[in-house]
Amino acid sequence: MSYVMIENLRKTYGASTVLSDIHMTIGKGEFVTLLGPSGCGKSTILRIIAGLTDATAGSVSIDGKDLRNIESKNREVGMVFQSYALFPNMTVKENVAFGLEMKKMDPIEIEKQVRDMLAVVRLSDKEKAYPQELSGGQQQRVALARALIVRPKVLLLDEPLSALDAQIRKKLQADLRAIQTELGITMILVTHDQEEAMAVSDKIWVMNQGGIAQCGTPTEIYTKPGNEFVANFIGHYNVFSRQELEQLIGQPLPGDHVKFAIRPEAIRTEECPGAYQVKAVAKDSMMSGNVIRTVFQAGERTFSIEQLHQQARVFEQGKVYECYVESNDVIALK
Amino acid sequence: MKKRGLPELFFLILVIYLILPVLGTALYAFSTKWNNTILPEGITLEWMAFLFQDMKFLEAFGRSVLLSGGAVALAFLFIVPAIFVIVLYFPKYEKWVQAAVVLVYAFPGVILAVGLIRAYAHLGVPMIFTILGAYVIGILPYIYQGTRNSLRNVNARQLLDAAELLGASKTQALLKVLLPAVYPGLFVAALLSFSILFGEFVLINLVVGSRFETVQIYLMKKLNSSGHIASAVVVVYLVLMSLLTAVIYGLTKRMKGVAHT
Repeated sequence: MSYVMIENLRKTYGASTVLSDIHMTIGKGEFVTLLGPSGCGKSTILRIIAGLTDATAGSVSIDGKDLRNIESKNREVGMVFQSYALFPNMTVKENVAFGLEMKKMDPIEIEKQVRDMLAVVRLSDKEKAYPQELSGGQQQRVALARALIVRPKVLLLDEPLSALDAQIRKKLQADLRAIQTELGITMILVTHDQEEAMAVSDKIWVMNQGGIAQCGTPTEIYTKPGNEFVANFIGHYNVFSRQELEQLIGQPLPGDHVKFAIRPEAIRTEECPGAYQVKAVAKDSMMSGNVIRTVFQAGERTFSIEQLHQQARVFEQGKVYECYVESNDVIALK
Repeated sequence: MKKRGLPELFFLILVIYLILPVLGTALYAFSTKWNNTILPEGITLEWMAFLFQDMKFLEAFGRSVLLSGGAVALAFLFIVPAIFVIVLYFPKYEKWVQAAVVLVYAFPGVILAVGLIRAYAHLGVPMIFTILGAYVIGILPYIYQGTRNSLRNVNARQLLDAAELLGASKTQALLKVLLPAVYPGLFVAALLSFSILFGEFVLINLVVGSRFETVQIYLMKKLNSSGHIASAVVVVYLVLMSLLTAVIYGLTKRMKGVAHT
Protein backbone atom coordinates (compact mmCIF):
# COMPACT_ATOMS: atom_id res chain seq x y z
CA MET A 1 0.00 0.00 0.00
CA SER A 2 1.49 3.37 -1.02
CA TYR A 3 1.88 5.86 1.79
CA VAL A 4 3.62 8.59 -0.16
CA MET A 5 2.53 8.93 -3.76
CA ILE A 6 4.07 11.27 -6.29
CA GLU A 7 2.35 11.48 -9.66
CA ASN A 8 3.35 13.23 -12.89
CA LEU A 9 5.52 15.66 -10.94
CA ARG A 10 7.12 18.34 -13.05
CA LYS A 11 9.14 21.40 -12.15
CA THR A 12 10.47 23.99 -14.54
CA TYR A 13 12.30 27.28 -14.05
CA GLY A 14 11.67 29.27 -17.21
CA ALA A 15 12.95 27.15 -20.07
CA SER A 16 14.92 24.82 -17.83
CA THR A 17 13.26 21.59 -16.70
CA VAL A 18 14.38 20.42 -13.26
CA LEU A 19 11.96 17.52 -12.87
CA SER A 20 10.17 15.73 -15.66
CA ASP A 21 7.22 13.46 -15.09
CA ILE A 22 8.23 11.88 -11.79
CA HIS A 23 6.21 8.94 -10.48
CA MET A 24 7.10 7.49 -7.09
CA THR A 25 5.39 5.33 -4.52
CA ILE A 26 6.74 4.83 -1.03
CA GLY A 27 5.36 2.44 1.55
CA LYS A 28 4.63 3.31 5.18
CA GLY A 29 7.71 2.92 7.41
CA GLU A 30 10.07 2.58 4.45
CA PHE A 31 13.50 4.18 4.37
CA VAL A 32 13.88 5.40 0.82
CA THR A 33 16.83 7.19 -0.75
CA LEU A 34 16.88 9.53 -3.72
CA LEU A 35 20.35 9.03 -5.10
CA GLY A 36 21.93 11.01 -7.88
CA PRO A 37 24.57 13.55 -8.87
CA SER A 38 24.32 17.23 -7.97
CA GLY A 39 21.63 19.07 -9.91
CA CYS A 40 19.59 15.98 -10.81
CA GLY A 41 16.51 17.34 -9.02
CA LYS A 42 16.47 15.15 -5.91
CA SER A 43 16.40 18.03 -3.40
CA THR A 44 13.68 19.72 -5.44
CA ILE A 45 11.46 16.67 -4.91
CA LEU A 46 11.99 16.97 -1.14
CA ARG A 47 11.20 20.68 -1.18
CA ILE A 48 8.03 20.05 -3.17
CA ILE A 49 6.94 17.35 -0.69
CA ALA A 50 7.64 19.78 2.16
CA GLY A 51 5.72 22.58 0.44
CA LEU A 52 8.78 24.83 0.28
CA THR A 53 8.75 24.84 -3.52
CA ASP A 54 5.70 24.73 -5.78
CA ALA A 55 5.49 22.07 -8.44
CA THR A 56 4.80 23.18 -12.01
CA ALA A 57 2.53 20.17 -12.47
CA GLY A 58 1.66 16.91 -10.76
CA SER A 59 0.67 15.98 -7.25
CA VAL A 60 2.02 14.66 -3.98
CA SER A 61 -0.11 12.82 -1.47
CA ILE A 62 0.68 11.39 1.94
CA ASP A 63 -1.56 8.82 3.56
CA GLY A 64 -4.17 9.48 0.87
CA LYS A 65 -4.22 13.25 1.47
CA ASP A 66 -3.43 15.48 -1.52
CA LEU A 67 -0.92 18.11 -0.33
CA ARG A 68 -1.35 20.59 -3.17
CA ASN A 69 -3.28 23.24 -1.22
CA ILE A 70 -1.83 22.53 2.20
CA GLU A 71 0.71 24.89 3.79
CA SER A 72 4.11 23.56 4.89
CA LYS A 73 3.25 23.87 8.57
CA ASN A 74 0.15 21.70 8.18
CA ARG A 75 1.67 18.94 6.05
CA GLU A 76 2.95 16.84 8.98
CA VAL A 77 6.26 16.55 7.21
CA GLY A 78 9.60 16.99 9.00
CA MET A 79 12.83 17.98 7.37
CA VAL A 80 16.50 17.81 8.30
CA PHE A 81 18.69 20.18 6.32
CA GLN A 82 22.28 19.77 5.18
CA SER A 83 23.32 22.87 7.13
CA TYR A 84 21.26 21.74 10.15
CA ALA A 85 19.19 25.00 10.27
CA LEU A 86 19.26 24.99 14.06
CA PHE A 87 17.95 28.15 15.68
CA PRO A 88 21.13 29.87 16.90
CA ASN A 89 19.38 31.90 19.59
CA MET A 90 17.97 28.79 21.28
CA THR A 91 19.58 26.06 23.36
CA VAL A 92 19.46 22.42 22.30
CA LYS A 93 16.45 21.87 24.54
CA GLU A 94 14.63 24.93 23.17
CA ASN A 95 15.37 23.88 19.59
CA VAL A 96 13.94 20.41 20.18
CA ALA A 97 10.93 21.79 22.07
CA PHE A 98 10.08 24.37 19.37
CA GLY A 99 7.75 22.17 17.32
CA LEU A 100 5.80 21.05 20.38
CA GLU A 101 5.48 24.64 21.60
CA MET A 102 4.02 25.58 18.23
CA LYS A 103 1.44 22.85 18.82
CA LYS A 104 0.68 24.55 22.17
CA MET A 105 1.35 21.34 24.05
CA ASP A 106 1.36 21.26 27.85
CA PRO A 107 4.81 22.44 29.13
CA ILE A 108 5.19 19.42 31.44
CA GLU A 109 4.52 17.07 28.53
CA ILE A 110 6.95 19.05 26.36
CA GLU A 111 9.64 18.71 29.04
CA LYS A 112 9.12 14.94 29.20
CA GLN A 113 9.08 14.42 25.44
CA VAL A 114 12.17 16.58 24.92
CA ARG A 115 14.04 14.62 27.60
CA ASP A 116 13.05 11.32 25.96
CA MET A 117 14.00 12.52 22.48
CA LEU A 118 17.38 13.84 23.62
CA ALA A 119 18.02 10.42 25.15
CA VAL A 120 17.20 8.76 21.80
CA VAL A 121 19.82 10.90 20.04
CA ARG A 122 22.24 10.61 23.01
CA LEU A 123 22.40 14.32 23.76
CA SER A 124 20.88 14.46 27.24
CA ASP A 125 23.99 16.14 28.63
CA LYS A 126 23.88 18.91 26.01
CA GLU A 127 20.39 20.28 26.56
CA LYS A 128 21.64 23.66 27.80
CA ALA A 129 24.27 24.09 25.07
CA TYR A 130 23.80 26.45 22.13
CA PRO A 131 24.15 24.99 18.61
CA GLN A 132 27.42 26.80 17.95
CA GLU A 133 28.93 25.04 20.97
CA LEU A 134 28.32 21.59 19.45
CA SER A 135 30.25 19.54 16.90
CA GLY A 136 28.78 18.98 13.43
CA GLY A 137 27.62 15.47 14.33
CA GLN A 138 25.95 16.67 17.52
CA GLN A 139 24.24 19.53 15.67
CA GLN A 140 22.88 17.09 13.13
CA ARG A 141 21.51 14.88 15.92
CA VAL A 142 19.77 17.93 17.43
CA ALA A 143 18.27 18.67 14.01
CA LEU A 144 17.09 15.06 13.81
CA ALA A 145 15.58 15.18 17.31
CA ARG A 146 13.84 18.48 16.54
CA ALA A 147 12.29 17.06 13.38
CA LEU A 148 11.31 13.71 14.95
CA ILE A 149 9.73 15.01 18.13
CA VAL A 150 6.65 16.35 16.32
CA ARG A 151 6.03 12.81 14.99
CA PRO A 152 5.87 13.74 11.30
CA LYS A 153 4.22 11.32 8.92
CA VAL A 154 7.27 11.54 6.69
CA LEU A 155 10.77 12.73 7.56
CA LEU A 156 12.76 14.29 4.74
CA LEU A 157 16.55 14.26 5.01
CA ASP A 158 18.30 16.62 2.60
CA GLU A 159 21.92 15.42 2.47
CA PRO A 160 22.06 15.59 6.28
CA LEU A 161 25.42 13.89 6.61
CA SER A 162 27.37 15.30 3.71
CA ALA A 163 29.09 18.03 5.75
CA LEU A 164 30.47 15.53 8.28
CA ASP A 165 33.74 13.61 8.20
CA ALA A 166 33.72 9.96 7.11
CA GLN A 167 33.88 8.37 10.56
CA ILE A 168 31.05 10.42 12.08
CA ARG A 169 29.03 10.00 8.90
CA LYS A 170 29.20 6.21 9.16
CA LYS A 171 28.22 6.33 12.82
CA LEU A 172 25.28 8.62 12.09
CA GLN A 173 24.16 6.44 9.18
CA ALA A 174 23.85 3.56 11.64
CA ASP A 175 22.09 5.84 14.17
CA LEU A 176 19.69 7.08 11.51
CA ARG A 177 18.75 3.56 10.47
CA ALA A 178 18.38 2.42 14.09
CA ILE A 179 16.12 5.38 14.97
CA GLN A 180 14.05 4.85 11.84
CA THR A 181 13.57 1.18 12.68
CA GLU A 182 12.76 1.98 16.31
CA LEU A 183 10.18 4.68 15.51
CA GLY A 184 8.88 3.05 12.31
CA ILE A 185 8.77 6.41 10.59
CA THR A 186 8.80 6.85 6.80
CA MET A 187 12.03 8.55 5.78
CA ILE A 188 13.18 9.94 2.45
CA LEU A 189 16.90 10.62 2.26
CA VAL A 190 18.58 12.65 -0.45
CA THR A 191 22.23 11.90 -1.07
CA HIS A 192 24.81 11.71 -3.81
CA ASP A 193 26.81 9.14 -1.84
CA GLN A 194 26.00 5.67 -3.18
CA GLU A 195 27.64 3.91 -0.23
CA GLU A 196 25.42 5.87 2.15
CA ALA A 197 22.36 5.00 0.09
CA MET A 198 23.30 1.30 0.10
CA ALA A 199 23.95 1.33 3.85
CA VAL A 200 20.66 2.75 5.08
CA SER A 201 17.93 2.25 2.48
CA ASP A 202 15.11 -0.20 1.99
CA LYS A 203 14.73 1.15 -1.51
CA ILE A 204 16.80 3.43 -3.72
CA TRP A 205 15.53 5.71 -6.46
CA VAL A 206 18.48 6.60 -8.69
CA MET A 207 17.91 9.95 -10.40
CA ASN A 208 19.52 11.53 -13.43
CA GLN A 209 18.75 14.82 -15.19
CA GLY A 210 15.39 15.35 -13.54
CA GLY A 211 14.10 11.83 -14.09
CA ILE A 212 14.16 8.44 -12.39
CA ALA A 213 16.94 6.27 -13.82
CA GLN A 214 16.14 3.15 -11.78
CA CYS A 215 14.34 2.06 -8.64
CA GLY A 216 15.03 -1.01 -6.54
CA THR A 217 16.46 -2.46 -3.37
CA PRO A 218 20.16 -1.77 -2.75
CA THR A 219 20.97 -5.32 -3.87
CA GLU A 220 18.91 -4.98 -7.07
CA ILE A 221 20.47 -1.63 -7.88
CA TYR A 222 23.97 -2.93 -7.29
CA THR A 223 23.70 -6.31 -8.97
CA LYS A 224 21.36 -5.39 -11.80
CA PRO A 225 21.98 -1.82 -12.95
CA GLY A 226 19.34 -1.10 -15.56
CA ASN A 227 21.28 1.33 -17.71
CA GLU A 228 24.68 2.82 -18.36
CA PHE A 229 24.13 5.80 -16.06
CA VAL A 230 23.29 3.61 -13.05
CA ALA A 231 26.17 1.24 -13.80
CA ASN A 232 28.59 4.16 -13.92
CA PHE A 233 27.12 5.87 -10.86
CA ILE A 234 26.93 2.79 -8.62
CA GLY A 235 30.24 1.25 -7.62
CA HIS A 236 33.04 0.98 -10.13
CA TYR A 237 31.34 -1.01 -12.86
CA ASN A 238 33.28 -1.71 -16.04
CA VAL A 239 31.01 -0.55 -18.85
CA PHE A 240 31.69 -1.76 -22.40
CA SER A 241 30.10 -1.35 -25.78
CA ARG A 242 29.16 -4.64 -27.52
CA GLN A 243 32.04 -4.22 -29.96
CA GLU A 244 34.58 -3.56 -27.20
CA LEU A 245 33.49 -6.57 -25.12
CA GLU A 246 33.30 -8.92 -28.12
CA GLN A 247 36.83 -7.91 -29.05
CA LEU A 248 38.05 -8.54 -25.50
CA ILE A 249 36.49 -11.99 -25.08
CA GLY A 250 37.03 -12.98 -28.71
CA GLN A 251 33.51 -14.24 -29.33
CA PRO A 252 30.04 -12.83 -30.15
CA LEU A 253 27.62 -12.01 -27.34
CA PRO A 254 23.99 -13.20 -27.40
CA GLY A 255 21.05 -10.75 -27.75
CA ASP A 256 20.97 -7.30 -29.28
CA HIS A 257 21.98 -5.07 -26.38
CA VAL A 258 24.61 -2.47 -27.20
CA LYS A 259 26.07 -1.81 -23.73
CA PHE A 260 27.25 -4.23 -21.05
CA ALA A 261 28.46 -3.86 -17.48
CA ILE A 262 30.66 -6.12 -15.39
CA ARG A 263 31.17 -5.69 -11.64
CA PRO A 264 34.89 -5.30 -10.83
CA GLU A 265 34.77 -8.15 -8.29
CA ALA A 266 33.23 -10.49 -10.90
CA ILE A 267 36.43 -10.50 -12.95
CA ARG A 268 38.83 -13.11 -11.56
CA THR A 269 42.30 -14.32 -12.37
CA GLU A 270 41.80 -17.89 -11.13
CA GLU A 271 40.97 -20.30 -13.93
CA CYS A 272 37.24 -20.69 -14.33
CA PRO A 273 36.05 -23.33 -16.83
CA GLY A 274 33.39 -22.13 -19.28
CA ALA A 275 33.97 -18.45 -18.46
CA TYR A 276 34.88 -15.74 -20.94
CA GLN A 277 38.63 -15.31 -21.05
CA VAL A 278 40.62 -12.08 -21.51
CA LYS A 279 44.38 -11.59 -21.69
CA ALA A 280 45.37 -8.30 -20.05
CA VAL A 281 48.38 -6.43 -18.69
CA ALA A 282 48.35 -5.40 -15.01
CA LYS A 283 48.79 -1.65 -14.58
CA ASP A 284 48.23 0.33 -11.38
CA SER A 285 46.91 -1.03 -8.10
CA MET A 286 45.13 1.15 -5.58
CA MET A 287 44.04 0.31 -2.07
CA SER A 288 40.64 1.54 -1.00
CA GLY A 289 39.85 0.42 2.54
CA ASN A 290 39.68 -3.36 2.58
CA VAL A 291 39.54 -3.56 -1.22
CA ILE A 292 42.41 -3.49 -3.70
CA ARG A 293 41.51 -2.20 -7.14
CA THR A 294 43.81 -3.09 -10.02
CA VAL A 295 43.59 -1.61 -13.49
CA PHE A 296 44.26 -3.96 -16.43
CA GLN A 297 44.80 -3.08 -20.04
CA ALA A 298 43.71 -5.25 -22.95
CA GLY A 299 44.46 -3.61 -26.28
CA GLU A 300 43.27 -0.03 -26.03
CA ARG A 301 40.62 -0.78 -23.42
CA THR A 302 41.18 -0.72 -19.67
CA PHE A 303 39.08 -2.36 -16.97
CA SER A 304 39.45 -2.77 -13.24
CA ILE A 305 39.11 -5.71 -10.93
CA GLU A 306 38.59 -5.60 -7.18
CA GLN A 307 39.76 -8.10 -4.59
CA LEU A 308 39.37 -8.20 -0.84
CA HIS A 309 42.62 -7.10 0.72
CA GLN A 310 43.25 -10.23 2.81
CA GLN A 311 42.58 -12.64 -0.07
CA ALA A 312 44.17 -10.48 -2.74
CA ARG A 313 46.55 -11.88 -5.32
CA VAL A 314 49.51 -9.58 -5.90
CA PHE A 315 49.79 -8.53 -9.55
CA GLU A 316 53.14 -7.68 -11.01
CA GLN A 317 52.95 -4.44 -12.92
CA GLY A 318 53.43 -4.95 -16.67
CA LYS A 319 52.89 -8.71 -16.53
CA VAL A 320 50.21 -10.38 -18.65
CA TYR A 321 47.43 -12.25 -16.81
CA GLU A 322 44.48 -14.36 -17.89
CA CYS A 323 41.24 -12.85 -16.57
CA TYR A 324 37.92 -14.75 -16.40
CA VAL A 325 34.32 -13.53 -16.39
CA GLU A 326 31.35 -15.85 -16.15
CA SER A 327 28.64 -15.17 -18.72
CA ASN A 328 25.98 -14.53 -16.07
CA ASP A 329 28.16 -11.74 -14.63
CA VAL A 330 27.94 -9.84 -17.90
CA ILE A 331 24.96 -7.52 -17.41
CA ALA A 332 23.20 -6.24 -20.50
CA LEU A 333 22.21 -2.58 -20.15
CA LYS A 334 19.26 -0.81 -21.69
CA MET B 1 63.03 35.06 25.52
CA LYS B 2 61.71 36.21 22.15
CA LYS B 3 63.52 39.26 20.80
CA ARG B 4 61.46 42.31 19.91
CA GLY B 5 61.96 43.23 16.28
CA LEU B 6 61.05 45.83 13.71
CA PRO B 7 57.35 44.93 13.47
CA GLU B 8 56.87 45.69 17.17
CA LEU B 9 58.75 48.99 16.76
CA PHE B 10 56.57 50.07 13.83
CA PHE B 11 53.47 49.07 15.74
CA LEU B 12 54.62 51.17 18.69
CA ILE B 13 55.25 54.18 16.41
CA LEU B 14 51.78 53.76 14.91
CA VAL B 15 50.15 53.59 18.34
CA ILE B 16 52.00 56.74 19.46
CA TYR B 17 51.02 58.48 16.20
CA LEU B 18 47.36 57.62 16.75
CA ILE B 19 47.15 58.18 20.48
CA LEU B 20 49.26 61.32 20.89
CA PRO B 21 46.73 63.78 19.34
CA VAL B 22 43.87 62.23 21.33
CA LEU B 23 45.92 62.36 24.52
CA GLY B 24 46.93 65.95 23.80
CA THR B 25 43.32 66.99 23.20
CA ALA B 26 42.14 65.23 26.36
CA LEU B 27 44.91 66.87 28.41
CA TYR B 28 44.05 70.27 26.94
CA ALA B 29 40.41 69.78 27.93
CA PHE B 30 41.49 69.35 31.57
CA SER B 31 44.37 71.86 31.69
CA THR B 32 44.30 75.29 33.33
CA LYS B 33 46.91 76.70 30.97
CA TRP B 34 49.13 75.00 28.40
CA ASN B 35 50.97 77.52 26.26
CA ASN B 36 54.70 77.63 26.85
CA THR B 37 55.29 74.41 28.80
CA ILE B 38 55.79 70.79 27.75
CA LEU B 39 53.02 69.60 30.05
CA PRO B 40 49.95 71.56 31.26
CA GLU B 41 50.59 74.00 34.09
CA GLY B 42 47.63 72.67 36.07
CA ILE B 43 44.61 70.37 35.89
CA THR B 44 41.01 71.59 36.11
CA LEU B 45 37.46 70.42 35.53
CA GLU B 46 36.39 73.98 34.75
CA TRP B 47 35.91 73.48 30.98
CA MET B 48 34.04 70.25 31.39
CA ALA B 49 31.79 71.84 34.04
CA PHE B 50 31.17 74.81 31.76
CA LEU B 51 30.23 72.50 28.93
CA PHE B 52 27.65 70.60 30.92
CA GLN B 53 26.17 73.83 32.28
CA ASP B 54 25.96 75.39 28.84
CA MET B 55 22.40 74.94 27.59
CA LYS B 56 23.56 75.50 24.02
CA PHE B 57 25.82 72.45 24.23
CA LEU B 58 23.16 70.29 25.84
CA GLU B 59 20.62 71.38 23.23
CA ALA B 60 23.12 70.72 20.45
CA PHE B 61 23.84 67.30 21.93
CA GLY B 62 20.11 66.60 22.09
CA ARG B 63 19.66 67.69 18.47
CA SER B 64 22.51 65.45 17.33
CA VAL B 65 21.01 62.48 19.16
CA LEU B 66 17.54 63.28 17.80
CA LEU B 67 18.72 63.72 14.22
CA SER B 68 21.05 60.70 14.15
CA GLY B 69 18.68 58.49 16.13
CA GLY B 70 15.71 59.62 14.03
CA ALA B 71 17.50 58.78 10.79
CA VAL B 72 18.50 55.35 12.11
CA ALA B 73 14.95 54.71 13.34
CA LEU B 74 13.50 55.68 9.96
CA ALA B 75 16.02 53.46 8.18
CA PHE B 76 15.03 50.53 10.36
CA LEU B 77 11.37 51.23 9.75
CA PHE B 78 11.59 51.40 5.96
CA ILE B 79 14.91 50.04 4.72
CA VAL B 80 15.41 46.96 6.92
CA PRO B 81 12.04 45.35 6.07
CA ALA B 82 12.74 45.99 2.38
CA ILE B 83 16.16 44.34 2.67
CA PHE B 84 14.59 41.38 4.50
CA VAL B 85 12.10 40.85 1.70
CA ILE B 86 14.68 41.29 -1.06
CA VAL B 87 17.35 39.05 0.50
CA LEU B 88 14.91 36.32 1.56
CA TYR B 89 12.41 36.22 -1.27
CA PHE B 90 13.71 38.24 -4.26
CA PRO B 91 17.51 37.87 -4.22
CA LYS B 92 17.67 38.71 -7.93
CA TYR B 93 16.79 42.35 -7.02
CA GLU B 94 19.80 42.64 -4.70
CA LYS B 95 21.87 44.06 -7.54
CA TRP B 96 19.68 47.19 -7.52
CA VAL B 97 20.23 47.70 -3.79
CA GLN B 98 23.95 47.22 -4.34
CA ALA B 99 23.89 49.86 -7.07
CA ALA B 100 22.13 52.27 -4.68
CA VAL B 101 24.80 51.54 -2.07
CA VAL B 102 27.57 52.45 -4.51
CA LEU B 103 25.73 55.66 -5.48
CA VAL B 104 25.76 56.77 -1.85
CA TYR B 105 29.55 56.66 -1.87
CA ALA B 106 29.70 58.38 -5.25
CA PHE B 107 28.39 61.79 -4.06
CA PRO B 108 30.85 63.98 -2.12
CA GLY B 109 29.24 65.90 0.78
CA VAL B 110 29.60 69.34 -0.80
CA ILE B 111 27.96 68.30 -4.09
CA LEU B 112 25.21 66.53 -2.17
CA ALA B 113 24.58 69.64 -0.06
CA VAL B 114 24.33 71.93 -3.11
CA GLY B 115 22.11 69.40 -4.83
CA LEU B 116 19.77 69.15 -1.85
CA ILE B 117 19.48 72.95 -1.56
CA ARG B 118 18.74 73.36 -5.28
CA ALA B 119 16.26 70.51 -5.34
CA TYR B 120 14.33 71.15 -2.13
CA ALA B 121 14.85 74.72 -0.90
CA HIS B 122 12.16 76.20 -3.16
CA LEU B 123 9.60 73.52 -2.31
CA GLY B 124 9.04 74.88 1.16
CA VAL B 125 10.12 71.63 2.82
CA PRO B 126 12.03 72.43 6.04
CA MET B 127 15.64 71.69 5.20
CA ILE B 128 16.15 69.75 8.40
CA PHE B 129 13.71 67.13 7.06
CA THR B 130 15.66 67.09 3.82
CA ILE B 131 18.79 66.42 5.87
CA LEU B 132 16.97 63.68 7.77
CA GLY B 133 15.98 62.05 4.46
CA ALA B 134 19.53 62.38 3.16
CA TYR B 135 20.86 60.79 6.35
CA VAL B 136 18.52 57.82 5.97
CA ILE B 137 19.92 57.26 2.48
CA GLY B 138 23.46 58.01 3.67
CA ILE B 139 23.47 55.11 6.11
CA LEU B 140 22.02 52.69 3.55
CA PRO B 141 25.41 50.98 2.97
CA TYR B 142 25.86 50.18 6.68
CA ILE B 143 22.27 49.11 7.21
CA TYR B 144 22.27 47.02 4.03
CA GLN B 145 25.56 45.29 4.73
CA GLY B 146 24.69 44.67 8.38
CA THR B 147 21.26 43.28 7.62
CA ARG B 148 22.31 41.20 4.63
CA ASN B 149 25.33 39.71 6.39
CA SER B 150 23.27 38.85 9.46
CA LEU B 151 20.64 37.14 7.33
CA ARG B 152 23.24 35.22 5.35
CA ASN B 153 25.26 34.21 8.38
CA VAL B 154 22.31 32.52 10.00
CA ASN B 155 21.07 31.07 6.68
CA ALA B 156 17.83 32.96 7.24
CA ARG B 157 15.74 31.39 4.51
CA GLN B 158 16.45 27.90 5.81
CA LEU B 159 15.67 28.95 9.39
CA LEU B 160 12.29 30.23 8.23
CA ASP B 161 11.67 27.01 6.30
CA ALA B 162 12.65 24.91 9.32
CA ALA B 163 10.41 26.92 11.65
CA GLU B 164 7.43 26.67 9.30
CA LEU B 165 7.88 22.92 8.90
CA LEU B 166 7.77 22.67 12.69
CA GLY B 167 4.36 24.29 12.69
CA ALA B 168 5.18 28.00 13.01
CA SER B 169 3.28 30.60 10.99
CA LYS B 170 5.34 33.08 8.93
CA THR B 171 4.89 35.72 11.65
CA GLN B 172 5.90 33.29 14.41
CA ALA B 173 8.93 32.20 12.39
CA LEU B 174 9.96 35.83 11.95
CA LEU B 175 9.38 36.91 15.55
CA LYS B 176 10.50 33.81 17.44
CA VAL B 177 13.34 32.60 15.24
CA LEU B 178 14.67 35.07 12.70
CA LEU B 179 14.65 38.40 14.55
CA PRO B 180 16.24 37.03 17.74
CA ALA B 181 18.87 35.31 15.59
CA VAL B 182 19.82 38.43 13.62
CA TYR B 183 19.15 41.24 16.12
CA PRO B 184 22.77 41.53 17.34
CA GLY B 185 23.86 42.15 13.76
CA LEU B 186 21.08 44.68 13.22
CA PHE B 187 21.94 46.41 16.51
CA VAL B 188 25.57 46.70 15.50
CA ALA B 189 24.52 48.20 12.14
CA ALA B 190 22.30 50.69 14.01
CA LEU B 191 25.06 51.75 16.39
CA LEU B 192 27.56 52.07 13.56
CA SER B 193 25.14 54.20 11.54
CA PHE B 194 24.33 56.34 14.59
CA SER B 195 27.99 57.00 15.35
CA ILE B 196 28.68 57.96 11.73
CA LEU B 197 25.74 60.38 11.61
CA PHE B 198 26.60 61.80 15.02
CA GLY B 199 29.96 62.90 13.64
CA GLU B 200 28.58 64.27 10.35
CA PHE B 201 29.41 67.95 9.77
CA VAL B 202 29.61 68.85 6.08
CA LEU B 203 25.98 68.33 5.10
CA ILE B 204 24.35 69.78 8.21
CA ASN B 205 26.64 72.82 8.20
CA LEU B 206 26.15 73.63 4.52
CA VAL B 207 22.42 72.96 4.31
CA VAL B 208 21.09 74.08 7.70
CA GLY B 209 24.03 75.68 9.56
CA SER B 210 23.22 77.50 12.81
CA ARG B 211 19.48 77.09 12.36
CA PHE B 212 19.81 73.56 13.75
CA GLU B 213 22.97 73.54 15.79
CA THR B 214 24.35 70.03 16.32
CA VAL B 215 27.37 69.04 18.38
CA GLN B 216 29.63 69.32 15.35
CA ILE B 217 28.48 72.88 14.57
CA TYR B 218 28.79 73.81 18.25
CA LEU B 219 32.31 72.42 18.17
CA MET B 220 33.23 74.49 15.12
CA LYS B 221 31.99 77.65 16.82
CA LYS B 222 33.91 76.92 20.00
CA LEU B 223 37.10 76.38 18.02
CA ASN B 224 37.10 80.12 17.36
CA SER B 225 36.38 81.15 20.94
CA SER B 226 37.98 78.63 23.34
CA GLY B 227 40.33 75.79 22.54
CA HIS B 228 39.79 74.31 26.02
CA ILE B 229 36.02 74.05 25.58
CA ALA B 230 36.43 72.74 22.04
CA SER B 231 38.74 70.07 23.44
CA ALA B 232 36.18 69.27 26.12
CA VAL B 233 33.55 68.77 23.37
CA VAL B 234 35.92 66.44 21.54
CA VAL B 235 36.52 64.46 24.73
CA VAL B 236 32.78 64.05 25.33
CA TYR B 237 32.35 62.99 21.71
CA LEU B 238 35.22 60.49 21.97
CA VAL B 239 33.86 59.02 25.20
CA LEU B 240 30.45 58.54 23.56
CA MET B 241 32.02 56.92 20.49
CA SER B 242 34.22 54.71 22.68
CA LEU B 243 31.16 53.52 24.57
CA LEU B 244 29.34 52.75 21.31
CA THR B 245 32.43 50.96 19.98
CA ALA B 246 32.68 48.92 23.18
CA VAL B 247 29.04 47.89 22.85
CA ILE B 248 29.55 47.00 19.17
CA TYR B 249 32.68 45.00 20.02
CA GLY B 250 30.93 43.21 22.86
CA LEU B 251 27.97 42.30 20.68
CA THR B 252 30.10 41.16 17.76
CA LYS B 253 32.15 38.98 20.10
CA ARG B 254 29.05 37.54 21.72
CA MET B 255 27.49 36.68 18.39
CA LYS B 256 30.27 34.22 17.48
CA GLY B 257 28.71 32.07 14.79
CA VAL B 258 25.28 33.68 15.09
CA ALA B 259 25.42 36.89 13.08
CA HIS B 260 28.18 39.28 12.23
CA THR B 261 28.26 42.55 10.46
